[in-house]
Amino acid sequence: MALSNLREYVRPDGLDMALSLVKEKGRSARVIGGGIDLVRSSSPDIETLVDLSQLSLSYVRQTDKGIAIGATTTLTEIVEAPVLNNYLQGVVVEMLRQVGAPSLRNLASMGGTLASAHPWSDVITLFVALGAQVTLYNGVTRMVPLSDLYASRALLSPAIITEALLPAYAHGTAAAFMKFSRTKFDIAILNCACLISTQNGDCESVRLTAGGTPQLAALLPEVAEVLLGRKLSQTSIGQAAEMARETTLVRNDLRASGNYRRELVYAGVKRCLTCVSTHLSGASQ
Amino acid sequence: MRICLTVNGKKQELDSTPGDTLLHLLRRIGYKGVKKGCESGDCGACAVLLDGRVVNSCLVLAAKADGHCVTTVEGLAGQEKTGELHPVQEAFLEQGAVQCGYCSPGMMIAAVDLLAHNPNPTDQEIKEGISGNLCRCTGYVKQIEAIRIAAKKMRKSADV
Ligand SMILES: Cc1cc2nc3c(=O)[nH]c(=O)nc-3n(C[C@H](O)[C@H](O)[C@H](O)COP(=O)(O)OP(=O)(O)OC[C@H]3O[C@@H](n4cnc5c(N)ncnc54)[C@H](O)[C@@H]3O)c2cc1C
Ligand code: FES
Ligand code: FES
Repeated sequence: MALSNLREYVRPDGLDMALSLVKEKGRSARVIGGGIDLVRSSSPDIETLVDLSQLSLSYVRQTDKGIAIGATTTLTEIVEAPVLNNYLQGVVVEMLRQVGAPSLRNLASMGGTLASAHPWSDVITLFVALGAQVTLYNGVTRMVPLSDLYASRALLSPAIITEALLPAYAHGTAAAFMKFSRTKFDIAILNCACLISTQNGDCESVRLTAGGTPQLAALLPEVAEVLLGRKLSQTSIGQAAEMARETTLVRNDLRASGNYRRELVYAGVKRCLTCVSTHLSGASQ
Repeated sequence: MRICLTVNGKKQELDSTPGDTLLHLLRRIGYKGVKKGCESGDCGACAVLLDGRVVNSCLVLAAKADGHCVTTVEGLAGQEKTGELHPVQEAFLEQGAVQCGYCSPGMMIAAVDLLAHNPNPTDQEIKEGISGNLCRCTGYVKQIEAIRIAAKKMRKSADV
C-alpha cells in the first residue's frame, strides 16, 4: 500500500481549517494537490492528508498584475486556459506540453508542482525565469518571489501555497524555454529558460535560468550581464552561451555527466536566446 | 472508511482505507481491465477516466476520488446499453492494434480522452495523447493508425 500509516484524508472547507490541521499535526500532516509525489513517496511519517479541493483554488485569471493561477489548478487546466495562449508567445503552454503525459498533467496541481521543488522541474525553471510570485498563507497572506521559496524552505513550514502569479510584461518582452531529455516526455537532463525585455532593441532586463544541472533552477546573472544594454545578435548570443558554459555549476548524476550538461547549457542558452530574438524581431515588424 | 464512486455510470458505496489507491480499489471490486503495471505513473496500464479525463489510477488515492465519476475500459462498450463496442475499441480490433493486450485498456482510455477533446488530431497529437502509455509489443504504429481511424468514425457519426 502506498502510504501505510495514513489514517485520515480530510477535505476542509476553509483555508484556516486546512492550515490549523497542518500546524497542529506538524510533519505528520501534508497538504495534497494532485498527490502524484505523495502517493509514490510511501512515507511512514504521513498520517493525515489535507485536500484543498473544496477551497475554490482552481482558476486561471487575468488580473491587472498578470496571470493568477490557483493552487489546485491542474497542469491540464493551465494548458487549456485561453489567457495563456498569448502570454509571452505561449511559452507557458509550450513548456507544460512537455511535462509528463496527459494522464499526469490531469492530476498534477500548480501548488504541488511548485512545493515539491524537483530539481529538474520544467515548471520551476521557466517560472523562476519569468519572475513568478507565489502567495503563501500561514495565518496571514503574503506574496513572495518564487525563487525565495527555494532559498528558504522555512517559508513553507507551515504555510499553504494558494496562488502563483505570472507578472504582466509590456510589449518588447519575449521568453523561451528549452528542455533536453531522452524523449520529449522524460524528465529533463537539463532545462533552460529566458525572459528578455528590450528598449529600442537593446536588452534592458535579462533573466536566464538553468535547471536539472542537476540542481534546482538557478538564475545565471553572469550570462545576463553579457547581454545587458546590447542587441541580440549572433555575436552577443554566442558570447552569452560561452559564458553559460563557463560559469554554470553542473555535476554528474545518473542522468548525465557534468561535461555533457556543460554542452547542454551552452546549446540551451543559445537556442533560447535565438528563439527570443526571433520573437522580438517578429513583434517589431 | 466509506467512499462513494460512480463507476461506469453505476453509483456505489465502497469500503476503503485512507492509503488505498484507486487502482487497487477498482481491481478489488472486479474491474480487472484496469491493469497494474509500474505503480509509479510511468506505464499507463492503469489509466481510467476520472470525471472524463485520463489519469493513472495508481497515483490517485481512492479517498481523493470520493464523490467523482470513474470510467474504466469495461465502461467504454455499450455506453447506451446497445452492447456495441466504442469506436476506439472497434478500430483497435480492426487494425490489429492488440498483441498481448496488457497496455490496451490504458491506451484506449487515453485515446478516448484525446478524441473527446480533439476530434481531429494530427499523428503528432495522437502520439502526445498516448505518450503516457507504454507498449512492449506493437511498436505503436497500429495503435496510432487505429486512433486515427476511430477519430474518423467518431467525426462521421457526429455529422449524421
Ligand atoms: C511519471 C512522471 C513523469 C514526470 N514528468 C515530469 C516532467 O516531464 N517535467 C516536470 O517538471 N515534472 C515531471 N514530473 C513531476 C510532476 O510534475 C510532479 O510530481 C507533480 O507536478 C507534483 O504535483 P502534485 O500536485 O501531484 O503534488 P503532490 O503530490 O500533491 O504534492 C507534492 C508536495 O507538495 C506539497 N503541496 C501540495 N500542494 C501544496 C500547496 N498548495 N501548498 C503547500 N504545499 C503543497 C505536498 O504536501 C507534497 O509535499 C513527473 C512525475 C512523474 C510521476
Ligand atoms: S501502473 Fe499506473 S502508470 Fe503504471
Ligand atoms: S500489446 Fe503487449 S504491451 Fe502493448
